Amino acid sequence: MPQFEPTIISFLCNWCAYAGADLAGTSRLQYPPNIRIIRIMCSGRVDPIFILEAFKSGADGVLVAGCHPPSDCHYLSGNLEAQKRILLLKKILLQLGIEPERLRLEWISASESEKFAAVVRDMVMKLKRLGPSPIKNGDIRAT
Amino acid sequence: MARIGVYVCHCGLNIAGVIDVKNVAEYATKLPDVKVARDSTYLCSDSGQKMIKEDIKKHKLDRVVVASCSPRMHEETFRKAVNEAGLNPYLLDMINIREQDSWCHSEEPEKATEKAKVLIEMAVARATHLDALKKGKIKAAKSVLVIGGGIAGIQASLDLANAGFKVHLIEKSPSIGGRMAQLDKTFPTLDCSACILTPKMAEAGRHPNIELLTYAEVENVNGFVGNYDVTIRKKPRYIDEEKCTGCGECENACPISMPSEFDLGLKMRKAVYRPFPQAVPNVFTIDKRGIPPCRATCPAGVNVQGYISLVSQGKFKEAYELLRKFIPFPSICGRVCFHPCENECERGKFDDPVAINAIKRFVADYISTQEKEKPKPPLKRNAEKIAVIGSGPAGLTAAYELTKMGYPVTVFESLPKAGGMLRVGIPKYRLPRNAVDEEIQMIENSGVEIRTNITVGKDVTLEELLQQGYAAIFIAVGVHKCRKLGIEGEKLRGVIPSLEFLRKVNMGKKVEIGPKVAVIGGGDTAIDAARTALRHNAKEVLLLYRRSREEMPAYASGKEEAEKEGVRLHFLVSPKKIIGRDGRVVSLECVKMKLGEPDETGRRRPIPIEGSEFIIEVDTVIPAIGQSLDTTFLPKNVKLSQYVTIGVDQVTLQTNLPGIFAGGDAVKGKATVIDAIADGKRAAVSIDRYLKGKDMWAGREKKVSKAEEIPKVGIEKKPRQKMPLLPLDQRLNDKEVELGFTEEMAREEANRCLACGGCSECLECEKVCELAEVINHEQKVEEITIKVGSIIVTAGCEVFDAFLTPELGYGHYTNVITNLEFERLSNAAGPTKGKILCPATGKPPKSVAFIQCVGSRDKRFCRYCCRVGCMVTLKQAILVKEKVAHDVDVYICYNDMRAFGKAYEEFYDRARQMGIKFVNGLPSEVKVSLNDSLCFDVYEPNTNKLLEIQTDLVVLASGLVPSPDFAKLQRILRIPRSPDGFFLETHPKLQPLETPTRGIFLAGACQSPKDIPDTISQASGAAMKAAELLATGEVGIEPLIAMVEEDFCSGCRICESVCPYQAIEMKAKTVKGEKKNVAEIIAAACQGCGICSVACPARAIDMQHYKQEQILAQIKAAVQGGKRR
Repeated sequence: MPQFEPTIISFLCNWCAYAGADLAGTSRLQYPPNIRIIRIMCSGRVDPIFILEAFKSGADGVLVAGCHPPSDCHYLSGNLEAQKRILLLKKILLQLGIEPERLRLEWISASESEKFAAVVRDMVMKLKRLGPSPIKNGDIRAT
Repeated sequence: MARIGVYVCHCGLNIAGVIDVKNVAEYATKLPDVKVARDSTYLCSDSGQKMIKEDIKKHKLDRVVVASCSPRMHEETFRKAVNEAGLNPYLLDMINIREQDSWCHSEEPEKATEKAKVLIEMAVARATHLDALKKGKIKAAKSVLVIGGGIAGIQASLDLANAGFKVHLIEKSPSIGGRMAQLDKTFPTLDCSACILTPKMAEAGRHPNIELLTYAEVENVNGFVGNYDVTIRKKPRYIDEEKCTGCGECENACPISMPSEFDLGLKMRKAVYRPFPQAVPNVFTIDKRGIPPCRATCPAGVNVQGYISLVSQGKFKEAYELLRKFIPFPSICGRVCFHPCENECERGKFDDPVAINAIKRFVADYISTQEKEKPKPPLKRNAEKIAVIGSGPAGLTAAYELTKMGYPVTVFESLPKAGGMLRVGIPKYRLPRNAVDEEIQMIENSGVEIRTNITVGKDVTLEELLQQGYAAIFIAVGVHKCRKLGIEGEKLRGVIPSLEFLRKVNMGKKVEIGPKVAVIGGGDTAIDAARTALRHNAKEVLLLYRRSREEMPAYASGKEEAEKEGVRLHFLVSPKKIIGRDGRVVSLECVKMKLGEPDETGRRRPIPIEGSEFIIEVDTVIPAIGQSLDTTFLPKNVKLSQYVTIGVDQVTLQTNLPGIFAGGDAVKGKATVIDAIADGKRAAVSIDRYLKGKDMWAGREKKVSKAEEIPKVGIEKKPRQKMPLLPLDQRLNDKEVELGFTEEMAREEANRCLACGGCSECLECEKVCELAEVINHEQKVEEITIKVGSIIVTAGCEVFDAFLTPELGYGHYTNVITNLEFERLSNAAGPTKGKILCPATGKPPKSVAFIQCVGSRDKRFCRYCCRVGCMVTLKQAILVKEKVAHDVDVYICYNDMRAFGKAYEEFYDRARQMGIKFVNGLPSEVKVSLNDSLCFDVYEPNTNKLLEIQTDLVVLASGLVPSPDFAKLQRILRIPRSPDGFFLETHPKLQPLETPTRGIFLAGACQSPKDIPDTISQASGAAMKAAELLATGEVGIEPLIAMVEEDFCSGCRICESVCPYQAIEMKAKTVKGEKKNVAEIIAAACQGCGICSVACPARAIDMQHYKQEQILAQIKAAVQGGKRR
């Protein structure tokens, strides 16, 4: 049986994290290809619905990455909004039967290519250990 | 049904080398709505773009997906291309299969190919939901802010100003010029740096379109491209920039010397300074670093650093005048003040505190030998007369201050002579009476009337004084009543309270004391009494104190001298009973004590040891255990404090009765002289305000700001001058024990002051400045706001701190210098007037070794190349040969020589031909050899030899590092930095002058280390970019903003509260026949972050181009596309 390969949906802000991911490529840093990057303008744009939809569709993990708090955010306070929302959402995930570790929030600046690659590597490793998402075909899998 | 075209780029082999591009394109053809999918070697090339354009027309495509490099790089290129083919540019979606796929998964080509397929699927899913959008336009200010006044900032400002734009050039230091101003010659032409720079500086200074904002910093930036609101903080220069002519008279008068930042500490400058003679603007700046600790600590706020600095210059008269502005008793204070200033002196943290008090006394003594000017009576006279009760230091100070303000003041004194405790409390050997007489005489000369032999409460009452027309009264009586021991036998003859004893002795009255005296107590009065007893027939004086030596409150030198003179100190002893015979004291029963837990004063409480009683034979007992106030003279309605002193407001010193004030001993119980003076000054201010009906409390907080701890590197240890004392065998009389400093000692000691506050506020500069109101020591920080359309960051860089490589000996050996220090040594305006001399010996070097890459290309510090070090060293090596002598041995120890610019290699050639020795290797340690020259070993791999080099001078080619200010600028401007800490351009080749924030550009070394030619080119480029942006007075804005579905909006205003840009306003509207408040987006202000969209509980706000349905489609495709395979 082939090894389980988790699917990670990630939302990267245009100014810091997306640029950091670009730099990881420019620096030829290698990380597992399990990640699907969606570019957004600000981590404050990440609606909890997006994350829930990702899990509902069958994603094994979700990564949201933005600019470092308190003041790197290109839009002044979007990263802080994201932080509040994700903290709350983790509690909801727990109630839904989804391990909160599957959702991860990271601060990655435009120069932190090493950090971006390390986060992806670490997340893939941890998700492999955790196994596939308990959600299948939009429903929580009976265990 | 959408008609989508998908284009996959090879990017040469960048993508195609990893990803099976053809396979991906073929896969895309099978996706829903995709009408055509192709691959191309270089999509961004003309032919690639042409292919897309033709397809749009041929296949009637209404959406285009491009899979290539990062959209951060080429999104604009492809948007333009589709637009040229008649398609709305926002109907393009671009995905990144290079930076985020082929380059980072090059070891897993198959997986990378699969990932590319999913990414394309996501883009196709999103593309079907894209909307056509239109760019907006907003007005833009045709002005530019340039941050940093180095050569980059100057060049960019001049170019823009010449093109007709208004420029605000801001510089944090007092002059523009930056690093280039510090350099001597420039490579490869060896022309003088100043000759190129200073004309440009002058031009920038006088250009009508350039506003120079020197000694200023950017505090905040709000707004967006075309409309930045910038808050600027102008630091106080304390000199009017408009009026100062730069004549330099103030500099000559200033007594404070500080290391010159411009000359890297190799030269001193004054506290009022101009960094270099060609400074622009050509004005002076006063360097204040806060109130020094000595001044902040002094109860009377005496400007200590001020008079100390004047003494160091030999300006004793000026020092005295400054002192008299703060206290009327410099001579008395200089003798008896307990000088809390010295405890706080910064020098004390290094070796010994400055002997501040002794210097003050020297000034007073010096002046008393000179002819004095008669004080002029005050010009104005106020009608209200004021009564002061008591002629001690508090009363006389208040009287003196009030007289200066123009009030007629009468001082009432119960004793026959004025002075209070100064005259009857403090012994003559500490405070000679001529010092007291002289300073009281000066107070009387200033117009104060002193009436002696009048006891208020007996000869005249307070009420009667008020009836006599005194508009305010200041009670400044002393505490002359001694506290009782409270033991048996206190009424016996031979028991004399200390104050009574001292008073009688000081007034020349006869006091009977026996040969064996016991003084009880541990304070200053006890010591004074004991030493006075020795001087009046006592053969043996014991001092009994109930705690140990550590807790004894008396001043240290007093204790010491008392012991030397023969007073025997007994600790942990307390009297229990005074034993008498025939009504006379014969002995004292004492008990031994031990120390228990600390009491409320923080000192350990003494506890008697039971059964340890012993008897000592004495014939006189002098209790000195504290004083109390005689309150009998006070009217009954004056409120007392819990310590049975007069109760006053702590700020104003007013009692509960309006117009009646009190201070000094009468309030504090026992005040020191300086406390009493402080109270006198405080009361004078209060009384003046009271009489004028002004607020007595406003603005009277104690000044606490202390100077930042000043660095003590490079200061030589120098012990404090010792106070000369009267020899012990000449002491048992009234002669003053402390003899005072000589002029040389005072100046020497004053030179030890570290000038913590920078400017000492001695105000000598004001005296010499010939123009009115140019110098203003009260100037405050000023904040100004300006509006600009664009910002150019030219913030320069810093030089690597060579202290971080101690192995190379910098900071340890004086003859190891940095290359920037070399520039100053070599510069004709520098500390050696352009002579290259070894700093340690002052002689020209016979050999010089340059060490390259200090801090640069070093994993411990900077991984990058400093880009100028090699050329700087070649230049300096040639200068050594040319300026010192051609036979000087010059070594260059290098990693790799980098001579990459125009005419640089030729310059390198020239150096080789001059006989400069190039050693391919870097030393690991610089040491001193036996003959005192510097030496190091270098391994040269080319020759496989270990070379031993001996040299007189080592010059370190220090790298260039980001400035610590960058963090603040990054935060304010919201622009990123690269891993090396320099500001990050949008793209190194496509947009090297731009930052990701539109309208903010970069130039010079703040982007990465660079030489002068590159800096100037980049500055002109950035100026062009700003000009291009603002030329039409309008800028286009991206339509990526929020939009409101008014039908859903309930007017809850949550969006308004989360918006960081105040871009949402509530408007009353009629929506589908219903009148309601709905949110409206201000398009010009909205930046498109999307915070509001997520916050909206009714989902009434969505983001254009990042709509919920677009993102959800991407998410589904991302997961399901991946799962399907």
